[in-house]
Amino acid sequence: MQGLNRRFEVIVVGAGPAGLSAAYILAKKGFHVVLLERGRGVGSKQVFGGRVYSSLLERVFGSLGDAPIHRWVRRERLSIINGERMLTVEYISGGKYSFTTYLGQLASWMAGKAVEAGAIIVDEVRVDRILVEDNSVVGVESGGDTLKADVVVDAEGANRLLLEELGLVEKPRPSDMALGVKEVIKLGEEKIDERFGLRSGEGAAWILAGSVSAYTPGGGFIYTNKDSVSIGVVVSLESGGLVEEPYRLVESMRLNPLLKDIWREGDIIEYSAHLVPERSVRLIPSKLALNNFLVVGDAAGLLLNTGYTIRGVDYAAYSGYLAANAIVEAEEKYGSYSEEVLRRLYEERLKRSMVFRDIARHKAVEMIWENPTMIKQYAALLLDTLGGLYELGESTPSLRETFKNARRKNKVSLIRVMADLVHGVMKA
Amino acid sequence: MTSIGDKPLRVDDLLQRNVWDVDHRPHITVDTEKCRLCEAKPCITTCPAGCYILAGNKVVFSYEGCLECGACRLICPYNAVKWSYPLSGKGVQYRFS
Ligand SMILES: Cc1cc2nc3c(=O)[nH]c(=O)nc-3n(C[C@H](O)[C@H](O)[C@H](O)COP(=O)(O)OP(=O)(O)OC[C@H]3O[C@@H](n4cnc5c(N)ncnc54)[C@H](O)[C@@H]3O)c2cc1C
Ligand code: SF4
Repeated sequence: MQGLNRRFEVIVVGAGPAGLSAAYILAKKGFHVVLLERGRGVGSKQVFGGRVYSSLLERVFGSLGDAPIHRWVRRERLSIINGERMLTVEYISGGKYSFTTYLGQLASWMAGKAVEAGAIIVDEVRVDRILVEDNSVVGVESGGDTLKADVVVDAEGANRLLLEELGLVEKPRPSDMALGVKEVIKLGEEKIDERFGLRSGEGAAWILAGSVSAYTPGGGFIYTNKDSVSIGVVVSLESGGLVEEPYRLVESMRLNPLLKDIWREGDIIEYSAHLVPERSVRLIPSKLALNNFLVVGDAAGLLLNTGYTIRGVDYAAYSGYLAANAIVEAEEKYGSYSEEVLRRLYEERLKRSMVFRDIARHKAVEMIWENPTMIKQYAALLLDTLGGLYELGESTPSLRETFKNARRKNKVSLIRVMADLVHGVMKA
Repeated sequence: MTSIGDKPLRVDDLLQRNVWDVDHRPHITVDTEKCRLCEAKPCITTCPAGCYILAGNKVVFSYEGCLECGACRLICPYNAVKWSYPLSGKGVQYRFS
């Protein structure tokens, strides 16, 4: 950090969507802001699944006209795989709600906006510690150097080394986190259009459960980028570790007989892994602000995984935006960044926002998707029922009969099915 | 374009698809003495980069292929993993994720 001898009003740690959004807004409002990123260049340490919802992002950055949008998601697929059988529900959307991209590219685009607005981004700086004096945050430490500022925004992501060191959060239990592993397969634009049934510029988002991810709590995902396909699994970390090596899980998904022809002739161009906050509600720190300090994005546990879709990037950007606005208002109205002021202006507003309420609301749905025996039983039940309807010999059983047979075969009582359904629906 | 074929790739083959600037200083160190006490050794099956391998009954760790995910830090039951990120932007360099 040598050479950074100018005084900054704000230090942001981490150039992910959360930190970049905060830096962009603050710079636009005329604040002297420096963003410190451990990676080489912006985006070199970023991993996500593949899809970003656009509406909150537009709220932060305005038009996405020049954003690195690969494809607008038109086809939403949800599949349950059980051995050689697969049930897929496909929804064709009429509008533009979300797009696919590489997170690194999106982050670089955000960085461009932030720098244009006047923010300074310094890469290859790993922040080692948040500096505290007299009960207030005063800056950060990196490689023995210190850098001071009026206020620090922590946007370090899911792996919260700094927050743990600061004592604001504890090391998470393994089961509160999931591990995502991903392969990017280069295939070519035309082949993707053809094999997914897409028109040029249109994309597909596909979530898979069942044997494709060895019934692990979590599931598989497939997203179409411009000329590549991202495939992967997100599996919950249990305290005993994973049952099967994550690279074997992705590889068996890639080679699944029901899927493998989709990326025939493709080539793997990247293999990556990253943690995902899984039980977000348990990961949200007791306070989202301290004196001169704010927490945003994954570091604040702000991620929603409903089982059929995941929202992290847009939530991160939105929390960065709220934090930046809180800093602006705190300085203008109160001339103070005390914990009380920042919690009122940031935490309370965030907690009243749709983002936060949705995270709390979806807790129950998460649990159903997390239960491997339930996933396994329902996958078999559904597919046996459908198999009974379509795989006909001499007789043609009714839906009622096949459902009954499937329940018997899988030893699930009707009461149990009803109870689970009601339970799931009520809580959702 | 080369085809990836029909056989599962080994983890080393997967890691070779990435761009790396491996540091000569390890960013993670493991106190493998503690691993002797550990029955479960969850690191072996959890690490997405196969950095933890079993040689006989001993855990052998190498940091070079680390994807910096952080999973081993969380699942190690004996706190044997001293974990940090690489310095100076070293380590894995993602381009398409
Ligand atoms: C497998 C997987 C699939 C996902 N799929 C989706 C999806 O499809 N859609 C979606 O919206 N979200 C998805 N997410 C979630 C999404 O990626 C995150 O919610 C989002 O990236 C959070 O943004 P952030 O800015 O808080 O953190 P990050 O994006 O993690 O950024 C944190 C940044 O801080 C830097 N950093 C960390 N520590 C330090 C330090 N000490 N010093 C300096 N720099 C530091 C890191 O290098 C990094 O650049 C997925 C996540 C994973 C892992
Ligand atoms: S951080 Fe992840 S990739 Fe690196 S050694 Fe630990 S588990 Fe393996």
